[in-house]
This record gives sequence, C-alpha cells and structure tokens, in this order.
Amino acid sequence: MKRIALYWLALLALMFISLGSSYVSLGGWNAAIGVAIAGLKASLVAAVFMRLSRGPALLRLVAATAIAMWLLLVGLSGVDYATRPNDPAPVQPALAR
Amino acid sequence: MTAHSAMHPGDFPAPRRAAAARLGMWVFIGSEVLFFGGLMLAYLYGRTHWPHGFALASRRTDVVLGTLNTALLLTSSAVIALAVHKRQAITPLLWITVALGAAFLVVKGMEYHHEFTEHLFPGDGFALAATTGAELFFMLYFVTTALHALHLLAGMGGVSVLAWRRLRCIEPMALYWHFVDVVWIFLYPLLYLVERHS
Repeated sequence: MKRIALYWLALLALMFISLGSSYVSLGGWNAAIGVAIAGLKASLVAAVFMRLSRGPALLRLVAATAIAMWLLLVGLSGVDYATRPNDPAPVQPALAR
Repeated sequence: MTAHSAMHPGDFPAPRRAAAARLGMWVFIGSEVLFFGGLMLAYLYGRTHWPHGFALASRRTDVVLGTLNTALLLTSSAVIALAVHKRQAITPLLWITVALGAAFLVVKGMEYHHEFTEHLFPGDGFALAATTGAELFFMLYFVTTALHALHLLAGMGGVSVLAWRRLRCIEPMALYWHFVDVVWIFLYPLLYLVERHS
C-alpha cells in the first residue's frame, strides 16, 4: 500500500515537472525533457505497477523485444523521412485545351 | 488420458495458467506498442518537419483538462495495482478503476466539444488553416486520442466484467490497463506540452 502510494505521488510529481518545464523556453530541450519524463514515468509504471522488475525474465524479454522492434522500424523509416527535404512539390499547371 | 485427448486449460495447475495468461497479455501489449508506435513515428515526422505549426496547434489544446486526465489515469493505474498487489477489497478497487476511466472519458468529451466549436477539427473551415502543419497536428491529435479512448473503453469493459463476476484472475487485465495509461503518459507531453511558453 505504502509502496504503491509512494510511486503514485512520484508519478504525479513528474507530471507537474513535465507541465512546468513546458512553460520555460529551452529550445529543443523542451521536447527532450517532455519525452524523457514520459519515459521515466512509463518505466516506473512498467517496473512497479506491472511488476516487470520482479517478474520472470521472459516478460522483460517480451517488453524489450517490442521496444527494440519499434526503434528498429523508426530508425529504418528515418532513413527516408529524416533525409527528405521539406520543399513543396512543384505545381504543374493544368494544360489549357 | 489417451494420446488423442486434447489438453484443456483446466489440466494445468493454476499458477501455470496465470503465468501463461501474463505472458499472453505481454505479447499482446508488444503488438500494441507497434500499433501506437506507427502513429508516434507519424508524429515525429510532422513535428520535425513543421515545428512551428505543431507548436502553434498544441497551444490550442486544453492543457488544464489534459493534465487533469493524466492525473486521473495515473491514479486509476495505482488503484488497480493496489487490487493486484494487495489482493484485498478487489471488487471495490476494480469499480473505482472503472469510475476513473469513465471520468477520463467525460473530460475527453468536454475537450472534443471545445475543439469542435473552435473549428479545430481538420477539414473545411479549420481555424488554423493558414499555418502549415497545424491541421496535421490536429489530425494526429484526434486519431491518437480517439484510438486511446477506444482502448480505454475496452479496458473499462474488461475490468467491469472482472468486478461484476467477482473473478480473481485480474492481473492480465490490469497489465492492459497500465499499458493504456502508458500510452497516455506519452501522448500528454507530445500533444499538450509543445512549447507552452511562447
């Protein structure tokens, strides 16, 4: 009971830190901090509430495989998306007939 | 037992069945990670290519209601974790979880109502049509939050059945509930907290 209450308070505190950080101008760090805090919150939920830290290694393996697969797909997609210029496509005028 | 008779779940001892159910739910969650992961990739592409449009559009989301909803889901996760870990007062804790989920959906509905009246739903007459990327942001906003809400609704149905029938194998459903919470944990900064300062 105490342990879960403690982690619940920690999650709420992280939520408010995340909220507060978005009102401070930090350039690219705003997004990085937002996602890092979300990652920390998700890890706490997975490790404590979902009992991943105490459960069998097989479950951690499944979770890690899913995340690794996602990172792989994002990385491979990035080969295209991250290198694609953002110029609008040239407009081809309609042929007058 | 002859070689031809099929094995039934009841042939296995309860702890083994529980372990199999947990593993099954984790594999399902793994597939869900990739389901929402595709949308996250689409978001990443949009945000890196039209940062200005995404920041402008994000400032039009309701950060108070978004934060309230984050708190509601974090609390619901703690409540259902309490039911799983303590194995006491399971039925009331499950009903509280469902109630918190319902409260989340009511708040989400209020947000949607504001956004529809402010013409933030993509399409004809979109309020921020002049800014490139803003409409894409709101398209992703509505797709991800609606899919999340559907998942939450499914979770509320599942948890209600467990509470109603007083079933005691609640851990797989609780894992699913936590996963839906984790999806929201990521949606919260991505949708509500893009450059609130400017």
